[in-house]
Amino acid sequence: MVKVIIYPTNSLILSDLVERFGHKPLAMMEKIKEKISTVGVDSPPLNITPEEPKMGLKYAAVEVPAGVRGRMAIIGPMIDEAQAGIIVNDSPMAFGCMGCARTNELTKYLIRQREIPVLEVDYPHGDNEEEAKEFVYKIAEFLKSLPKNEGEDEV
Amino acid sequence: MSDGENDTLTKIVVISSDSVLPVDAAMKIYQSNTDIIIKETCFGTMITGPRDAVNRVVKEVVDLDRNHIFVKERGFLPGDERRCRSSRGGGPRPGFHYLRHEVQMLPTIGKALDAYDRKVPLKEIKQKKKLDVDKLIELIGSEL
Amino acid sequence: MSDKSVVKVALVSCGSEYAGVHKELESVAKSVDAKLVFPEIDVSSLDTIGRDFGIEAASADLRLMMARAKAVVEGIADVDGVFITSCFRCAEAAIVRNELRRYIHKHSDIPVISYSFTERTTAATLMTRMEALTTIARRKHLLAREHQTGLTAGIDSGSTTTKAVVMKDDKILGMGWVPTIKVIESATEAFDRALEQAGVKREDIQAIGTTGYGRFLVGEHFNAQLVQEEITVNSKGAVYLANKQKGPATVIDIGGMDNKAISVDDGIPGMFTMGGICAGASGRFLDMTAKRLGVDITELGALAVKGMQEKVDMNSYCIVFGIQSLVNSLAKGSTPEDVAAAACHSVVEQIFEQQLQEVDVKEPLILVGGSSLIEGVPKALGQLLKIKVLVPPNSHMIGAVGSALLASGFLEE
Repeated sequence: MVKVIIYPTNSLILSDLVERFGHKPLAMMEKIKEKISTVGVDSPPLNITPEEPKMGLKYAAVEVPAGVRGRMAIIGPMIDEAQAGIIVNDSPMAFGCMGCARTNELTKYLIRQREIPVLEVDYPHGDNEEEAKEFVYKIAEFLKSLPKNEGEDEV
Repeated sequence: MSDGENDTLTKIVVISSDSVLPVDAAMKIYQSNTDIIIKETCFGTMITGPRDAVNRVVKEVVDLDRNHIFVKERGFLPGDERRCRSSRGGGPRPGFHYLRHEVQMLPTIGKALDAYDRKVPLKEIKQKKKLDVDKLIELIGSEL
Repeated sequence: MSDKSVVKVALVSCGSEYAGVHKELESVAKSVDAKLVFPEIDVSSLDTIGRDFGIEAASADLRLMMARAKAVVEGIADVDGVFITSCFRCAEAAIVRNELRRYIHKHSDIPVISYSFTERTTAATLMTRMEALTTIARRKHLLAREHQTGLTAGIDSGSTTTKAVVMKDDKILGMGWVPTIKVIESATEAFDRALEQAGVKREDIQAIGTTGYGRFLVGEHFNAQLVQEEITVNSKGAVYLANKQKGPATVIDIGGMDNKAISVDDGIPGMFTMGGICAGASGRFLDMTAKRLGVDITELGALAVKGMQEKVDMNSYCIVFGIQSLVNSLAKGSTPEDVAAAACHSVVEQIFEQQLQEVDVKEPLILVGGSSLIEGVPKALGQLLKIKVLVPPNSHMIGAVGSALLASGFLEE
């Protein structure tokens, strides 16, 4: 089992597929949960304080907007932790955590920069079943190719 | 690592099945007799409780129709004041729109998973390409 | 809507939750008894909003902003004001933010403010803006007042100077204008001068209004009936003094520390901006120029109208750079007249670049605040905008007059 970062980082489908094929998805939801259950911090709704944009300086310079750096303070460590990645390109909608196009560009770039196995697939069009099939097959094969035991990571 | 007994977790289970209804899943969860809370929403059932119990129940539900029931973790507990639309005065949290979009795709994803299990081979898909500029020039020329 | 009701402010934002400023937004809203709400939208509209509104923004949260603004305009969301906000330095968001502000202003009567934040934005920074937004929603009847009645006083406790007036039935009986040193002492001095000139006693005053940075402290000290931020007070004061109470107007107030640009309609502010990046765009820079030239601030204007700004290269985008060019030009032998003219031009240029882009300039353009008395300033503004700039009589007393006018509304209540 390896830790797989997914992009979009809050995707139900990707998170489900990673877990379904026996790996651990690194997704936004879990990080948000950590944030909001931090005792002693009261900065609703996400408990992100002005400290996060400062921590985000590790991933983006000070001239990058605070909202991007605040997001990177959460996404960045996930990228650092990942042992594999799945990037879905051209996904039509991405809200919330993925609502900022600049953050998304940086996130994808940083995933690609890591020397880990990364699968890039296109988002299937509408209800085109063949495209959806190709999408699922590629992801399934990729996940199956990743090591099963943590001991044998570092592919 | 998280403590499986004390760590509280919320998972959202989305059912996109012809054979299992959300109510069947809910019954399954109620029967499980563990220390968990469930909440049904427009897009699925949220299950909250100790990590181990939630994972166990979720597995039981998913096993009802493996390829057509989908799961993801959720950051906020159901009804969390900071995110609940009743206390936010109006519109839903942004993640809601994304979930809504993905849920519409689940039937096709489910079918694809069935096909993958049955090892149905992929057909070649022809991608639409943008018209070659030379071809366009030729077309314009032929119209004049 | 009564003075007591909670004002519903639609938050149309991108990035605030992730920049760590959301709590500040909630906190400032709470302090002025407002509630931030997230407009309910037609979910399916998100798929097409880019084309429908016309900006195909790459960021989904910006598209969500457009859908929310549309819900406000179409009345799907029932709100009293709109706060549009996004990350500072985000070009994509700046385009959307500005266009949404215009769109809401054009298609509804709902007051709008827009602001770009950094992680350092605090509730205190947003206070005056949010207070103005709620006042416009809550006190429309008060802002509709066109005449000052009875014997009232207004005190404007500004960052640099404190102004006080005593008024009776639309006439200014007495004025006081002193530098702000200690807030209450300076206010007392200004007020006493105004009382003395008017020949009335403090106990004869029927109602007092306060505004400016020190309004809370001064208001408490004098037991004022009205304690009000300077955006609504100054817009009201400007159209009142300029006798342009009906129809559209644009008010520019160059203060000692920051500037305000306000689009006014029938005396009520619709869109406004406050601040600027640096004091280089404010009266403070003119004050420093006068000191460097060795003249009194009251003489700077006369000097400036005699000079030609084109002869001196000056940019007070940052006050330190501004002073550098001031020193350099004098060292190169520029005349004090040209330097004074260039300083006035530079201040006006900053206002044009930083603030007038955020409001729609409609005539009449009313220039107020202490800096409006420096003749070079209205001249430079008129040249830059190519329109006539109106400086009403007593334009420096704008906040005090506005307060005295609005305070008289309390006599009848």
